[in-house]
Amino acid sequence: MIEIKEVYYSYSEEVALNNINLAINKGEAVALLGPNGSGKSTLLKLMNGIISPSRGTYKFNNEEITEKRLRDNRFAKELHQKIGFIFQNSDTQLFCSNVYDEIAFGPRQMGISESEVEKRVEDCLELLSIDKLKDKTPYHLSGGEKRKVAIACVLSLNPEVLVLDEPMNGLDPRTQRWLVEFLTRLNKAGKTLITSTHNLELVHEISNRAILFDETHSIVADMPTNKLLEDVELLKKVNLVDPFYKR
Amino acid sequence: MHIPDNYLSPATCAVMTTAMVPVWVKSVRKMKEEIPKVKIPLLGIGAAFSFLLMMFNVPLPGGTTGHAVGGTLLAILLGPYAACISVTVALLIQALLFGDGGILAFGANCFNMAFVLPFFGYFIYKFIKDRVRTEKGEYVGIAIGSYMGINVAAFIAAIEFGLQPLLFKDATGQPLYCPYSLSVSIPAMTIPHLLVAGVIEMIFTVAIVAYIKKVSPGTIYDGAKQKTNAIYGLIALLICFTPLGLLATGTAWGEWGTDEIKEVASGGNVLGYIPKGMKDGFNFEAIMPDYAISGLPEVAGYILSALAGVAILIILFKVISSFMKSGSKA
Amino acid sequence: MGAMKHMKKETSNMPDWLLETENYIPESDQDTFVNKSILSLLKVIARIKSQDQEKQAKLQVNVTLHVAFTFILLILLSLSRSFIFVIVINVYLLLILSAMDAEKIVKILKVSIGVSFFTFLVMVPAIFWGNHFSSIMITSKAFATVTAVGILSHSTKWGTITSAFKRFMVPDIFILVLDITIKYIVMLGEFALNMLYALKLRSIGRNKSKYTSLSGIAGNMFIKSKEMAEDMYQAMECRGFTGEYHVYYKSRFQYIDYIYLIVNVAIFILFFYFQNI
Repeated sequence: MIEIKEVYYSYSEEVALNNINLAINKGEAVALLGPNGSGKSTLLKLMNGIISPSRGTYKFNNEEITEKRLRDNRFAKELHQKIGFIFQNSDTQLFCSNVYDEIAFGPRQMGISESEVEKRVEDCLELLSIDKLKDKTPYHLSGGEKRKVAIACVLSLNPEVLVLDEPMNGLDPRTQRWLVEFLTRLNKAGKTLITSTHNLELVHEISNRAILFDETHSIVADMPTNKLLEDVELLKKVNLVDPFYKR
Repeated sequence: MHIPDNYLSPATCAVMTTAMVPVWVKSVRKMKEEIPKVKIPLLGIGAAFSFLLMMFNVPLPGGTTGHAVGGTLLAILLGPYAACISVTVALLIQALLFGDGGILAFGANCFNMAFVLPFFGYFIYKFIKDRVRTEKGEYVGIAIGSYMGINVAAFIAAIEFGLQPLLFKDATGQPLYCPYSLSVSIPAMTIPHLLVAGVIEMIFTVAIVAYIKKVSPGTIYDGAKQKTNAIYGLIALLICFTPLGLLATGTAWGEWGTDEIKEVASGGNVLGYIPKGMKDGFNFEAIMPDYAISGLPEVAGYILSALAGVAILIILFKVISSFMKSGSKA
Repeated sequence: MGAMKHMKKETSNMPDWLLETENYIPESDQDTFVNKSILSLLKVIARIKSQDQEKQAKLQVNVTLHVAFTFILLILLSLSRSFIFVIVINVYLLLILSAMDAEKIVKILKVSIGVSFFTFLVMVPAIFWGNHFSSIMITSKAFATVTAVGILSHSTKWGTITSAFKRFMVPDIFILVLDITIKYIVMLGEFALNMLYALKLRSIGRNKSKYTSLSGIAGNMFIKSKEMAEDMYQAMECRGFTGEYHVYYKSRFQYIDYIYLIVNVAIFILFFYFQNI
């Protein structure tokens, strides 16, 4: 479903993605690992069509995504509906004045009837157990609540792929546990999950395949998550963990 | 509405900057009074906000976009004095870093956008709000205030432009700066603002205030409790007198033909005097005879064009080779 | 009871619509304002970041001198009635420009050509009314002015420009505000940028209330900026800030500064020479 071949990307002079080759199939749960600034977030942005490769090809559902095609409004919108992006900072994602409108924002644009929209919003509220927040202002919620609302407003678009940038960041352990289970359920329901994370304790629960970036912005490993976690030497080599790290 | 350099004469720029000085001083004092301690960060971050606000493109009918200035909005959110400082800083950064608005014209730009716009817009808003004490009244105040604010600022800018050909001409009667007189500059500036920019400003301001009121009402500036009328009367007076001040200083520059003297002098009469000191003190221009284009020795002309040629060639070469490099990378 | 309800939720199935693949064909909508806003924010942030990383050139003119003479040059340009003087200055600026990096040349020229072209357009009616001389004059003055400012701001770090202001009696507090502003334009700008990206990613159809979305973003930006200001003030207080701020500024004269000085004196003399012809 996602096919990335020999992709390079650079911010003016700085290289951010260095010869990336990657194929992700429908229904997979993939984790992106790597030290800070190794290119994970850039790759997520690329998958979402926020940026396009400087060199190489990116295909989604066998269609090549290029800057030129993204300029076509309709094409871009189709892509954005199919891939849902949950930002690292939930604040940036929430801009409506109450939670209900926030979740309804996407479905309303799709031109479905208001009663259908209401059903979707209610379902999402229930699914994330945030019914009580319905009339609240997103800006004043707690960090965990904001994350849930952000997930709900992406889910209401019913995307095929969910892309999450550091979803565990800033959440308390209980909410982290809840999120892990929720993501597992989504994956079982057939959604493809792509998550970037630094959380080595939980990564094997939200993914069965791990992709490891190093500081040269290229992929150094692509293997089952459990296997990668056992290869402590490799994790040390890419500076993801400190020299005294033990499993 | 960012006036670039060379549209206004240096004299006009000097007058406008001088007019801004008391406004700045007053604003800084007011800020210190209104906020218990010196909250410097608020000024800086308010300026950053005001700068970014000008980056937002607002959708217009027909799929095009325009952008708001947000002067009245800032005045409502932060208070007019803080808005004045914030917009000033934002304008300075725009002029220095982005070439948006002139350096010499900085004072004039501040006068229009950091002084007239927020103060006038805020005054209208406050005036209506204090008389119609309902929520509706407040929003009507915001709408009319922001609409009027930007239009009055545009009008003042038009006057600054329009006075240039009247005041600053060379001996042959050619205008030295903006060549359009009031009859052209006023409609050229005000019509687009009345029809488009003012409407954008109004919708943008109302929508943002409504959002913030809903989400976080405590963050909005709750307004000065004291009587504002006296101060605003003074400001209104200042605004009215500035063009007259311009006329008066204009006469000191000695840049008119005999026909204009009458007009200018009558303008000066309204004010009551023509500043003699300026007339005598700074008039090296008046000593100078007509300029001429020919007057450059042939050799110097050759050298000059050779230098220009070399510079342009190097620039072209560098630019092309940089494009080739980035082209081969992709 | 509550626990049981919770249990039930955890085991309940996903809603049907979430299990189906969406067959959605988007309508087109005119929402260029999002892309345009993203673009202008990106430009601003990139400009400030590159400004901050400005490498000190080998031959760096003393910043105080550079700021002062750029200002004087602008006044001379504005006062000058001699077309030749303006042309000489343009050539002089082009020569300086040609010594800079290609990347910077492109950036500076983009702005100065843009402004002078705009000026030219504004002056076109005046040309038809017989004011062709002053129209050409103002256009070429505009080019020189914007190029001169471009050269200054592209060859000097923002921080050095602001600290040079100290020499011109600008209060320290004002310089501090300028520095804070630049920093927060980047921080708030990145925040707004991400919000616009999020809006773009979720704008998958026809947005009936564009102004609502836009005002939500701008409104959040304001609330965020208030919070940031509060946090920063508290952090400054914790570090012993009492409202006093001192800018420290050192400057030395190098041989290049004397050359620069001589060139500018020459410009001054030229100005009077041509003004008197």
